[in-house]
Amino acid sequence: MNLISFNNVCKTYDPGLFKKKIQAVNDLSFDLQQGEVFGLIGPNGAGKSTAIRMLLGLIRPDSGTIFYKGRPLREGSIQQDIGYLPENPYLYDHLNLLELLTFCGRSSGLDADAISERGTALMTRLNLLEAQKRPLRTFSKGMLQRAGICFALLHDPSIVILDEPMSGLDPIGRKMVFDLVMELKGEGKTIFFCSHILNDVERLCDRIGLMNRGGLVRLFARADFPQNDGNTVILHVAPLSAPQRHDLQALGGRLRQEEGEMLLAVAEDCYHPVNRYLEQQGVAVLGGRSEWVSLEELFMGIIKEQEA
Amino acid sequence: MRGILSLAVITFKEGIRNRSLFGIALLALFLFGLNITVAGFFMRDIGKVTVDMNLSALSVAGLLLVFFVGVNLMAKDIDRKTIHLVLSKPISRIEYIWGKYLGILFFVFVSLAILLALSSATVFFLHGSYPDYFGQFTWSVFFVAAFFVFVKIALLVSIVVFFSSITTNSFITLIFSVCAFIVGSTIEEVLFYLRSSFAAKELAISDSLRHLLEIVSYLVPNLSVFDFKTEAAHGLAIGLDRLGFSLAYAAVYITVLLLLASLIFRRREFN
Repeated sequence: MNLISFNNVCKTYDPGLFKKKIQAVNDLSFDLQQGEVFGLIGPNGAGKSTAIRMLLGLIRPDSGTIFYKGRPLREGSIQQDIGYLPENPYLYDHLNLLELLTFCGRSSGLDADAISERGTALMTRLNLLEAQKRPLRTFSKGMLQRAGICFALLHDPSIVILDEPMSGLDPIGRKMVFDLVMELKGEGKTIFFCSHILNDVERLCDRIGLMNRGGLVRLFARADFPQNDGNTVILHVAPLSAPQRHDLQALGGRLRQEEGEMLLAVAEDCYHPVNRYLEQQGVAVLGGRSEWVSLEELFMGIIKEQEA
Repeated sequence: MRGILSLAVITFKEGIRNRSLFGIALLALFLFGLNITVAGFFMRDIGKVTVDMNLSALSVAGLLLVFFVGVNLMAKDIDRKTIHLVLSKPISRIEYIWGKYLGILFFVFVSLAILLALSSATVFFLHGSYPDYFGQFTWSVFFVAAFFVFVKIALLVSIVVFFSSITTNSFITLIFSVCAFIVGSTIEEVLFYLRSSFAAKELAISDSLRHLLEIVSYLVPNLSVFDFKTEAAHGLAIGLDRLGFSLAYAAVYITVLLLLASLIFRRREFN
């Protein structure tokens, strides 16, 4: 079932008198399924944050409709179910984290015990427990980001929207957030994820939408990235003749030509026959690589194609 | 309702911990101290000057609190996009407006209540030191006048909230609010002059300008209706009808401004 649907949504910003209008989102259509991790990627100004703001009701589409659980989105209809982390969370300087979480819990209808229980669990998980009574203005960028994640998740939302959640985090913080997102995914939460760190998107998301110039250019499924299967060997082999290509494909190998190189992806169950064939034919294996096609390569290729 | 209350609480805490508060409190304390120091210079007018200075100090402190701390408590939310986080919670935009208003109001009231206690101590000390020159002074009128300083500040807070709801920048909110205060403080005198025989002799004041100013006088807040300093200084009784009118005027004006702010805020987009 589609939990959220964007149907031909358009949004234009008016920057003011005598300035040209900016088409931020142009005929955007995509769906979010219940329980999936959906990643939205794209260059700066592609319209990702605008899409999120429309979903949150902070701005309204000029045309098109956003559906939530099959009904057009209305003011306040989604807020109880949503946890949102903006790209750079600006929190209240003079409050401490505990007060911020109490505000979050109270406004979401949680009682004091639930706020304390959930708050402590999240702060422990994100290594902020010791800083809970420090004013937020003394927090580092990474700590603010983690505090923002606590704020987003306190009321146990079923939909989590994360706009650049890894921004400003050190490797330990990134790992912490990565594991947390995986845990949320395991709990069956729907996660809408925007990031420029394509490696994270690739590892976390079930589906990935690529946006450019306000529109959705391409949708990728997890199957489009064989390295995500975890048991595929990717080899860089010497040039192959046409019959060799045919034979390798018949044995279950996948072939791809990339910048003059030949890549061969072999799944675990057909590795031995393919290996035997390569030995018989004297095809040299020049090396191995971890990715069949990286999201970055796809991203750059599609964006270049669009710009041309 | 829970959204309004939780927002009011964090707004109050955010305001009361602002360091500008210390500066404003120090200024007020300086004025009270100055009052004690120079009171002896005024001979028979000690009582009047004391009351007038104390109420003025309260009023100035209230204005500074609203303009330098209160403005930031709402406009900075929009400026820095903290509002994105707040509105991602189940808090409607109308609740946001009323929650912010109540939070700023509570913060200003608590700050002014502390200053009023110190101000009362100053008056009490000078009253004890120069009892002969406080002949007409009554504490009840003094506290009524102080209460109406609070009421005036409550109205100014609603003006700040209103302008915050239509502008995108805290500085513009500050400018608009200060302008509204200046016009509101002087409009009564301008109207008084226009209706006087002196104005009739002025060729420069056209009828259209006169009508325009009459219309403006109904739109801008007339802050002079909250000024009871003269009565407090001279110990004059204040009629209940005047008190009732001033209170009703403030209540209506604040309600209308907050409703307008809510309407505008509901339609507003936050990029």
